[in-house]
Amino acid sequence: MRPFDYAAPRTVEEALAQHADGAAYLAGGTSLVDLMKLDVARPHRVVDVNSLPLHGVTTDERGLHLSALERLGDLARHPAVADGHPVLRQALLASASPQLRNMATIGGNLLQRTRCGYFRDTAAACNKREPGSGCAARTGDNRGHAVLGAGPSCVATHPSDPAVALSALDALLELHGADGVREVPLNSFYRLPGETPQTETVLRPGELITRVTVPPLPGADRSVYVKVRDRRSYEFALVSAAVAVDLHDGEVRGVRIALGGVAPRPWRAHAAEQALTGREFTRANALEAAAAAADGAEPLSGNAFKIELVRRTVGHALTRLGGR
Amino acid sequence: MAKPLIGTATARVDGTAKVTGRADYAADRTEPGLAHGHLVLSTAGRGTLRSMDVTAAEAAEGVLAVYSPFNPLKLHRIKTTPDVCFVGQFWLPLQDQEIRHYGQIIGLVVAETFEQARHAASLIRAEYDLLPVRADFAGRIAHAVPPPVAINHEDPQVDLLAEEFGTVDEALAAGPVQVRATYTQPPEAPLALEPHACLASWSEGVLTLRVGSQSPVGGALAAAETLGIGLDQVRVLSPYVGGAFGGKLYIWPHPLLTAAAARELGRPVRTVLTQEQVFTTVGHRSAVSQTLALGAERDGTLVAVKHDAVSSLSLSGVIYETAAHTTSRYTYKSPSLHVGQRIVPLDSPPTTWVRAPGEAPGAFALESAMDELATELALDPVELRMRNYATVFPGRGVRWSGKHLDECYRVGAERFGWQPRTAPRPQPAEDSDQVWLTGTGMAGATYPGNLLPTTLANVRLRADGTATVATATSDPGTGMRTVLAMVCADDLGIPVERVEALVGDSALPLNYGAFASMGTSSSAGAVRSATTALKQRLLDLAAGDARSPFHGLAAEALAYRDGRVVGGGHSLTFAELLAATGLSELDSPGASAPGAERLRFAVHSFGAHFCELRVNRWTGEVRLDRWTSVIDGGTIINPRTARAQIVGGILFGIGQALLEGIRVEPDTGRFANGNLADYLVPVHADMPDFDIHFLDHPDTDFTPLGARGIGELGVVGTAAAIANAVHDATGRRVRDLPITVDKLL
Ligand SMILES: Cc1cc2nc3c(=O)[nH]c(=O)nc-3n(C[C@H](O)[C@H](O)[C@H](O)COP(=O)(O)OP(=O)(O)OC[C@H]3O[C@@H](n4cnc5c(N)ncnc54)[C@H](O)[C@@H]3O)c2cc1C
Repeated sequence: MRPFDYAAPRTVEEALAQHADGAAYLAGGTSLVDLMKLDVARPHRVVDVNSLPLHGVTTDERGLHLSALERLGDLARHPAVADGHPVLRQALLASASPQLRNMATIGGNLLQRTRCGYFRDTAAACNKREPGSGCAARTGDNRGHAVLGAGPSCVATHPSDPAVALSALDALLELHGADGVREVPLNSFYRLPGETPQTETVLRPGELITRVTVPPLPGADRSVYVKVRDRRSYEFALVSAAVAVDLHDGEVRGVRIALGGVAPRPWRAHAAEQALTGREFTRANALEAAAAAADGAEPLSGNAFKIELVRRTVGHALTRLGGR
Repeated sequence: MAKPLIGTATARVDGTAKVTGRADYAADRTEPGLAHGHLVLSTAGRGTLRSMDVTAAEAAEGVLAVYSPFNPLKLHRIKTTPDVCFVGQFWLPLQDQEIRHYGQIIGLVVAETFEQARHAASLIRAEYDLLPVRADFAGRIAHAVPPPVAINHEDPQVDLLAEEFGTVDEALAAGPVQVRATYTQPPEAPLALEPHACLASWSEGVLTLRVGSQSPVGGALAAAETLGIGLDQVRVLSPYVGGAFGGKLYIWPHPLLTAAAARELGRPVRTVLTQEQVFTTVGHRSAVSQTLALGAERDGTLVAVKHDAVSSLSLSGVIYETAAHTTSRYTYKSPSLHVGQRIVPLDSPPTTWVRAPGEAPGAFALESAMDELATELALDPVELRMRNYATVFPGRGVRWSGKHLDECYRVGAERFGWQPRTAPRPQPAEDSDQVWLTGTGMAGATYPGNLLPTTLANVRLRADGTATVATATSDPGTGMRTVLAMVCADDLGIPVERVEALVGDSALPLNYGAFASMGTSSSAGAVRSATTALKQRLLDLAAGDARSPFHGLAAEALAYRDGRVVGGGHSLTFAELLAATGLSELDSPGASAPGAERLRFAVHSFGAHFCELRVNRWTGEVRLDRWTSVIDGGTIINPRTARAQIVGGILFGIGQALLEGIRVEPDTGRFANGNLADYLVPVHADMPDFDIHFLDHPDTDFTPLGARGIGELGVVGTAAAIANAVHDATGRRVRDLPITVDKLL
């Protein structure tokens, strides 16, 4: 870990002012400090945002508002989350471990870095960590890597579970920057790697996530998060699916299917959604939709199984929601 | 007479200290003037270290020294082998520029704080001249060679054939039913909760080395040989060891370098390894590939067993897995038997002993193959094992000192509710709503009963009514301290609270330590010998000392009972007798050693595992639900810590079956998942409900106490029981561990 300055502002404005080039915000620290110890993150200054007034969960006609510093554990226990958003609650509870959930914030969770072993090892080639150095994962150990949305420069996945649920729920992110406040849909927040895998989001330098809003959404209460992993707990997803179905008289009026563990960002399976929309919610239709969930997937040397696993995970999720 | 402690579930005597943080592990200590070491590891897998730029590191704040092959710490070459000098590898770092494996030690930075040392280490740049790395185990199996030394005093290939056959293949062919398959498993790491850490300090030429070790005496031997000092100039302290599993049996280079640095700097130095560093600087279990063929009559009687194993052997180490010799060699009765072992030398970090070395992979293959044969024959797997039950050690003609494996099967099946099966379980219809497929599986377990070479102990009575028992073994979480205190308390007839057990110090009476499941049998035997002698000394004192109320009576007329000397109408506690005779304490040594039992008997512990699990039809996830193990380990001194040992062993096997495996990059030798985030071990949520039952058959042909080892037995057969249950549930036979979801889709 490199020596760094430390600042602990008390307001959003102070925080923005203290964030200079090469600085990093510190929330729960469960991702940032880990990467600093590995010498992967090398901030000159750490701006601790824990004293900012970014706490609380509220609801109004625009939906459910989660302040950025809310801890994953608290959110999972919050009645406003539990009521009506099973997919989010399940995704929160499937994240990390109870101890980590007591530290990890929702803002930090959305911005945690990939678990790619080459990104985390300073001796390895990694375009995300060191642009232009190459991608060791393409030909290396890539069992856990992306089959969708990746490119020649980078095949890393985004590791967050809550982000996948929030993608299915069409959540909005409130961002505070030097130029003021803006709101960005989570589904346009993350960028695909392209030629610049080091830039993972549309967040501008110094911009803070202050709030996550889950808009009212028909079907949010008929939702589920299925996370498939090698170990039963305390492990990232091989494949996960957040699915919400808006059902009317046995017919699917709308369905949202987001995938985790398979792409550089939470991945909406639009082809599968379309395949099911307007159709009867039967097992056969659900499976037909699930079969389209991995459309466009391209396997690497070690992860072809993920394509079949995506279909099965989505099939499992849909049948759990009643697609019989 | 007080209720005997032996056989009574007893809480760990050091439990409170452990859960309240008062147990001082090697990294917990600090000392005045303490400096901190941090290792620098190679990022190349084979070749020569051309240069190292240490300028920035040396200039960094707080740095005291940067040692490297270009500025070495002198260590003496190892002239002996690991079993003699207890160093886990042939060569020692910083003594030359050769790169022998990825992640080897190429430097040690010492600084005022841990953070400064780690930061400075990250500033070092190394340049290499590379050579092709030989790290691809699977790709090199074709080039496997016989190992250079005997295995359990036998040749690398053993053929015990029925008279009419010239080769085992002929014998196999004579069986109307045959199964044959190859079973593989990746290398595994002996991960422990306590990080590998050490603290070295010198005072007047004498080294005190605190290091978590299964063998403080071995540590002292290693330090003396490599640092060029006498055995009287080193003391190794391992009062608490937070898990070891073989990985802390030998001393690895970091404590030796740390001691050398402390000597050079004239300051105590502590080095704590990161978990990533542990993966490559501490040994691991070989990768193993095994081919097993069984030939049988239609009734299940085996006519031939052929088991050939190939294991990786690090070119830096000397230990490898001996899978066939340690399982198929003796497990079943078969008129023809062949076991073979070959090795694949690799440019890898050292391979070493890991819990149930040989038996863990060997039993996975053998007990899976037996299940395959049972399926083939439509015979219940328990019944198949009973039809091939061995009562005599094949080829040696001796019986076992105690073998109740048949009872393990029977009691286990009863407790578990095992349904004998003769046909595959029906699978649900394709469009069924059923999510989980249930399956059950079983396997047997064996582990040899051994004794350490000469083991000494000392027991001391004190005038305050307490006693101490001391021996240089270690308690790496096994419960050794508690067991020694129990044996001592039982023999002396006093409560266990009045006995202090001293372990984890090379200066205590000679004891090679806790490994190969022989620590308890050996150490407890030495304690019993000491207490027996001590009681006699006490009676002699009572009869012979003029100040004793018993003076004048013959020692033979006195008896020692429940902590008291009685006779001639007198009864005194030993404390009172010591006080009366003006002594503050009285002690006696004791010893145990292997004897002729090794020639007269085969000695093994046995067990049978039964498990039930579910496999998710959609995702292939495996969930273990319940587990029954019945264990034949002779006398169980402390059922409480014994249960923990068995459960811990099964946990190890669950890791082997479902999660663990080092993924080695074939071209670089880099461990792609060599860290605790990516190398998965079981967590609590992976645990089934355990029903652990011990049979009560003291093995007095083995030792007077009748206890055999159980530390490793739980691992053995566990992976096979799981693979067999997965097969029962899904109809799929997975022969390549770990059984991950991708193999069940
Ligand atoms: C062992 C382990 C297992 C885990 N398992 C899972 C899992 O299964 N599922 C899962 O989803 N996650 C998992 N995680 C990740 C964990 O959930 C994240 O590390 C955590 O949510 C990050 O939140 P934090 O508050 O600690 O972020 P920090 O580490 O403080 O910050 C993370 C990043 O976000 C930035 N940041 C933080 N807050 C803000 C903000 N408000 N505005 C702008 N930038 C900000 C920081 O600068 C930093 O770059 C695991 C982590 C560990 C260590």
